Amino acid sequence: MYKKIIVLMAFFAIVTPAFGYDESVLAKENSIQTRIDAVGTNLLNYNKIPKRIVFTYDKSEKKKLVSTDKSLTKRQVIVYDGLYQSVQTDDELAAMLAREIATVMKSYSGLWGGMLDSLQVALGSKKFEMVSDKRAVDYMVSAGYNPLALIVYINKTCPQKRFDKISRHNLTSRRLAHIYEYITYKYPQYLENNEYINNPYYQNFLLTSVDNRRKLEEKIKNKSSKEVDYE
Amino acid sequence: MNKFLSVLFLTLFLMFGYQLRGFCNEEVQPREITPEVRVNPAELPYDYSSTVRVPIYLSITKQISTKDDLHEGEKLDFRVIKDVVYKDTVILKSGDIVTGTLETIITSGMNGFPAEVIIDDFNIPNVKPSQLISTYNKRGQNRCFWVYPLKWSLTLIPFVGSLTNFIMGGEAKVKTSDIITIYYYPEWK
Repeated sequence: MYKKIIVLMAFFAIVTPAFGYDESVLAKENSIQTRIDAVGTNLLNYNKIPKRIVFTYDKSEKKKLVSTDKSLTKRQVIVYDGLYQSVQTDDELAAMLAREIATVMKSYSGLWGGMLDSLQVALGSKKFEMVSDKRAVDYMVSAGYNPLALIVYINKTCPQKRFDKISRHNLTSRRLAHIYEYITYKYPQYLENNEYINNPYYQNFLLTSVDNRRKLEEKIKNKSSKEVDYE
Repeated sequence: MNKFLSVLFLTLFLMFGYQLRGFCNEEVQPREITPEVRVNPAELPYDYSSTVRVPIYLSITKQISTKDDLHEGEKLDFRVIKDVVYKDTVILKSGDIVTGTLETIITSGMNGFPAEVIIDDFNIPNVKPSQLISTYNKRGQNRCFWVYPLKWSLTLIPFVGSLTNFIMGGEAKVKTSDIITIYYYPEWK
């Protein structure tokens, strides 16, 4: 009799915390998913994007090495936990999602239901990386988010490689310089009334981009239209 | 010993099981709905219920090409091709000039990737930007159709397949004869 009671008690003692843990984890995941949906839907609605795109939070740290890009195949934006952890404000979350929306939109255009364009994005990722950055800035501005958050987000999350000549990705410093230039010419109001001036991450970008920003200043001073060779 | 063990398990059960929210707890409160989940259309600055739309046909006043010296954010002029009328009110007359913005330029790339221009943010008198769906894309000749098969067939000969990298895509041109259609949704906010 005692043995049965002991086994029963042991079962409850072990199993009940598991249920409780699951519920708290689920509540947390639900709150993250809700936040992602809210910001993502704002971006879609304010930009009047007439195509279906869904946002999914994934607890995995990062994307698997061998996997298809779901933003191109299923028009599904996956937010991996490893990247989500670097997101602090809604502006930064909007930056992350806006980039992906720009990629998804490319998969909707062109022949064969967008298959050819998706293939081009996948193969020419270096080129479209810059395009997605620029479109993300536009989407963010239209939806009322501060585009400088894109600089902050990329500055925090993307590592700096030694060179990019044979890489499928651009140097992060080069990407950041192009985004900064794009905002300077197209949305200068965000730099004039800079809400991010007291943001330490933004200040870190300013610190690490002095040379590139000097090149941009030179371009503006000379009223040049040539593309700047950022480092 | 058995009594000791049963007391120990009972204690553990009470410690870990009873305190947990949502299990054996009489004071569990219903989970509150976070403000983001609530949907109150009155507070939204947009309402896309209406499907009523009026097409606006435009053509660019001066041809542009990605070969030219173009800038992102540049304002472009467009001529209205046909009168735009909604409920007997003339919104735009044929020949009127409206402006649009050259939003993004995608330069042509290796392996036949075409150049592309994206034009949006049309400024039409007496029409709110929120009432327009106006993104217009124009791309150059896409040479990937034949460049990729060629590349893959030449891969059999070492290094020769890579030569196709140097085949660039076509430049994007918006000609004055191109008809650009954007849509005005008069009942949208």
